[in-house]
Amino acid sequence: MIEFRNVKKIYTGGINTIALDDISFTIEKEEFVSLVGHSGAGKSTILKLLYAEEKPTSGEIFFNGDDISNLSLKQLPYYRRRIGTVFQDFKLLPRKTLFENVAFALEVSDHSDKEIRELVPQILEIVGLAHKMDSYPREISGGEQQRVAIARALVHRPPLIIADEPTGNLDPISSWGIIQLLLKINKLGTTVLLATHNKDIVNRVKKRVITLDQGKLIRDHSKGRYAI
Amino acid sequence: MLVLTLRRTFVSGFQHFRRNGWLSFAVISILSLTLLIISTLIVLSIAANLVIRSVQDKVDISVYFKNDTEESKIQEFRSTVLQYREVKSADYVSKDQALDEFKAKNTDNPVIMQSIKAIGDNPLNASVNIKAITPDKYDIIATAIQSSAYKDDISRINYAKNKIVIERLNNVLSTTRKVGVTLAALFSLIAVLITFNAIRITIYAHRQEIEIMRLVGASNPYIRMPFIFEGIIYGAISAIVVMAILLPTIRFATPMIAGAVSVKEVQSNFMQYFWLILFIQIFVGIALGTISSLIAIRRYLKV
Repeated sequence: MIEFRNVKKIYTGGINTIALDDISFTIEKEEFVSLVGHSGAGKSTILKLLYAEEKPTSGEIFFNGDDISNLSLKQLPYYRRRIGTVFQDFKLLPRKTLFENVAFALEVSDHSDKEIRELVPQILEIVGLAHKMDSYPREISGGEQQRVAIARALVHRPPLIIADEPTGNLDPISSWGIIQLLLKINKLGTTVLLATHNKDIVNRVKKRVITLDQGKLIRDHSKGRYAI
Repeated sequence: MLVLTLRRTFVSGFQHFRRNGWLSFAVISILSLTLLIISTLIVLSIAANLVIRSVQDKVDISVYFKNDTEESKIQEFRSTVLQYREVKSADYVSKDQALDEFKAKNTDNPVIMQSIKAIGDNPLNASVNIKAITPDKYDIIATAIQSSAYKDDISRINYAKNKIVIERLNNVLSTTRKVGVTLAALFSLIAVLITFNAIRITIYAHRQEIEIMRLVGASNPYIRMPFIFEGIIYGAISAIVVMAILLPTIRFATPMIAGAVSVKEVQSNFMQYFWLILFIQIFVGIALGTISSLIAIRRYLKV
């Protein structure tokens, strides 16, 4: 489903930083993959390349057979509708209610009002927040905000969910709740790519682990543990 | 699909506006001030024009003829003068008319009335009152008359006496125009810049939302439209606010300048310009809101 082929990413600026150095790996459909490594190891860069916020300096990236390493600005929104993204800082729209935040992902892809009215409460029910649908993000806890973000990432049923440190701002109990939710989503058939440096979580999940160090892929185990 | 997008982005823009009370209030007050400055300048220039026009109407030169000049000759003179390009009007005032006017003007003064009676005969001369199209033309007209074929029948031209007044009026007029135009341009520029920056700041405050919308897969038009609708709403509301301030102010202020010009004339003039002012305000308001939003948002769309 995802293939990185000899991907190199160099950030140019005052000093050139090699963020990724000749990375190659594939992720199959319905896998749950944890991406681990220290800060600056290149986890976020891999995710940014995947949701096309950055372009690789060299190499190719395929998503379901399509080369996404050189999308035009016009194609970008359409590609992004095929994946769901979850971030450490939740990235909810502060001026919209929870319902509207989730509905927004459907609105931009021209779903009808009827579909929106049916799908949004359903998905909020799945993440356990249907009763707070008319609240604003600032009125709910961090764990709840992250669940809304997951609902938004899921609502248009993308085949892939990318989560960049989704538990970074949460306490251990909320964190585990989020991970359980991601596992449940994976069980229902969605591929999940999780970047994290939370050791406990990686060891409890017992799924495939890709380890990065200083822009290089140093380990790829199918029932991995967090070990650097 | 287009209708759906328009409807959704409008609802979204309206929600942004409503759910951001303080920011909306700040932008609307700044935009209103801008419009108030621009429309005050328009109204002031209309008022100044009215005053100037009424003063201009009061200025003229009178050509007095000798006592024995026949009326037909004076009429001939009048039609000659009327053919000058610089002349707007020339009115014949006969000896009798002049006396009647003089009497009417001095009914309250028994000494003058008494002396007119005592003289018995009409001591006044027939005259032609000439008005120029603009005040700076009186000099040319006076010179032309003095060197015309009628100069021997003319007893006197009161131009010299009026000359100082006319010249002063000319100076005041040109200075007023220059200062007015400069001030209007300057204030408008300042006001437009302030509004532009205020809207840029509101969009800057929401740059993260734009980033989020991009991540969720919203196309650029879909991101842009709510901000543009927000700008339009700012513009329209500000125009209404300013009209609500301006109309009563004009009503209240009119009688104060009525000393210089007639109240009726002033009010009919403002009514005539009412739609123009309203239109300019709504147009300027919406244009300012929209253009500022468009420019401000470009940065965050990476286009």
